[in-house]
Amino acid sequence: METSFALTGKGYVIIASDTTAARSIVKMKIDEDKVKALGPHLLMAHSGEPGDTLQFAEYVERNIRLYNIRHNYSLSPSAAASWVRRSLAESLRSRHPYSVNLLLGGYDVPAKEPHLYWIDYLGTMSEVPFGAHGYGSYFALSLLDRYHNPDASLEEGIATLKRCIDEVAKRLIVSPSKYTVKVVDKDGVREIEV
Amino acid sequence: MSRSYDRALTVFSPDGHLFQVEYALEAVKKGTCAVGVRGADVVVLGVEKKSILQLQDPRTVRKVVMLDDHICFAFAGLTADGRVLIDKARVECQSHRLTVEDPVTVEYITRHIAGIQQRYTQSGGVRPFGISTLIVGFDPYDTKPRLYQTEPSGIYSAWKANAIGRSSKTVREFLEKNHRDDLTREEAIKLTVKSLLEVVQTGAKNIEISVMESYGKITHLDLTQIEAIVAEIEREKEAEAERKRSRLAATAAGQAAMTQRAGDAGPSQ
Amino acid sequence: MSIMEYNGGSVIAMVGKECVAIASDLRLGNQALGISSNFQKIFPVTDRIYLGLPGLATDVTTLQELFRFRVNMYTIKEEREIQPETFAHLVSSTLYERRFGPYFIEPVIAGLSQTPSGGFKPFIAATDLIGCLNFAKDFVVAGTASSKLFGVAEGLWEPDLEPEDLFETISQTLMNAVDRDAYSGWGCVVHVITKDKIITRTLKGRMD
Repeated sequence: METSFALTGKGYVIIASDTTAARSIVKMKIDEDKVKALGPHLLMAHSGEPGDTLQFAEYVERNIRLYNIRHNYSLSPSAAASWVRRSLAESLRSRHPYSVNLLLGGYDVPAKEPHLYWIDYLGTMSEVPFGAHGYGSYFALSLLDRYHNPDASLEEGIATLKRCIDEVAKRLIVSPSKYTVKVVDKDGVREIEV
Repeated sequence: MSRSYDRALTVFSPDGHLFQVEYALEAVKKGTCAVGVRGADVVVLGVEKKSILQLQDPRTVRKVVMLDDHICFAFAGLTADGRVLIDKARVECQSHRLTVEDPVTVEYITRHIAGIQQRYTQSGGVRPFGISTLIVGFDPYDTKPRLYQTEPSGIYSAWKANAIGRSSKTVREFLEKNHRDDLTREEAIKLTVKSLLEVVQTGAKNIEISVMESYGKITHLDLTQIEAIVAEIEREKEAEAERKRSRLAATAAGQAAMTQRAGDAGPSQ
Repeated sequence: MSIMEYNGGSVIAMVGKECVAIASDLRLGNQALGISSNFQKIFPVTDRIYLGLPGLATDVTTLQELFRFRVNMYTIKEEREIQPETFAHLVSSTLYERRFGPYFIEPVIAGLSQTPSGGFKPFIAATDLIGCLNFAKDFVVAGTASSKLFGVAEGLWEPDLEPEDLFETISQTLMNAVDRDAYSGWGCVVHVITKDKIITRTLKGRMD
């Protein structure tokens, strides 16, 4: 089942998402990248109703790019998150709402701080030190309560993330087999292998 | 109903003119000059910058803007109208990427902009855009530099080199005389500056140059670079004038010598 | 499952002597699953008005943004700060605008209103999700722990409490009520509004 995790550390945010695209009980694809780079210092994991997820993620991506071109600078993570939240909140009370859950992480370059936002399809938003969506969240959140450290180095952060992935693999009956993991820090966005 | 006649500002005159569109072209002629030059594998945009007031922030007065990573845009005419058109074009660039995943081609966005300009000559309650535009860039997955022009009427066309705005006719004639298809980067920049100097008396500080070399690769020259090019052009002009002077002096001397000889020969005969 | 209980959370406001207090828990949940232990539901409106928004979390943020906008517009147009009574009616009419597709929020307002003589009078009010105002002289409660809050507040509250005593009363009321509610808790925040300062304190609570 769809699962995504994210956690902050000293100067970085790690976002991980499984790579399966499923329809009912069938895996249709096992290498789907569900973590999108929205800008030089902004990442977003998206999950939920297939179709809505990609459609909404690309809509967000293009609007954030348009903002860059219009104003010649990037939106801060908090501003981007507020905009995305509002889009979902307005969509919720429209004729056809998007069913998309998000983890939005970014590095605020001027303030030199990492930020992570947990956003669901209702438009609920909360800034969190770590967050998760999907069935994996029931296992990951309690592990992160125990092992998360906001001042951890990137290596320690990845180790904590691995704990979550391993626990989900061990305990969830419908656990995903592969994850994409991306990091955003002062140097920008990059994908890493775990 | 009489209202149906005066709904639109742009109506034909009996001899088939759209006066509002022609007036818009007048507004363009009053605007600062913009030049586009296509080289072998480079395209250069140059604009005449109005000298800004002492206390004004120069960064807020921009005449060359990006529409997307690979499209550069300049205009001549009413700046406020330009801003509106730029915004519409930028939205279309992103919207195009969103719907078909590919970036726009230069021709596509030109056609879109010209389409908007045309619409404003035919709908009610609006006036035409008082601007002509130059759109340069590279198509995705392509290495050919592109240069397009649009006008208030909605006409658009592709060019090897062109100028719009104040004294554009003079500049275009200059370009017609001096443009070649195989211009290198440096030659294209120089030609742009040279042609702008035809109308810009105040030199480098009132010129802005942007160079596109390939998809998404754009550089805006800074003042010192432009000053260097202007100085070089001045030097060449000076050398040319010097050569002319010395040639003139030589002919004059030759003629004088001839008359002298004739004079010398005269009495002896 | 009720939408009003989807995210959990509770707010309470109390009147004291020339002061008012407003307090809430800090939990954001998805039914039984806790998401955040730092989700603010109380927002400052002016220097002397605070607004609590318990209910559906998406509407907490949406309404906070909407009230910020409307209060800013009021301040600019009227060239004066909004008074608690006026603000309460602004809240009421804003919610009633959505009478047939409401925001799932039951707001609580606490503030000090200026009297003609230049003094300050405590003001508290609450509305239901479609904006029916309830002015109270003692305390108002809202949220998933509201039934428990009523009981504890009924027992602990007394008239004319000084700021520090009011702080103790509202803190004890909230902490003990949310401990009996599965959807509220995970820490509390308390604001006591007095005529010359705001006392804001964050309380540790049980993390279960």
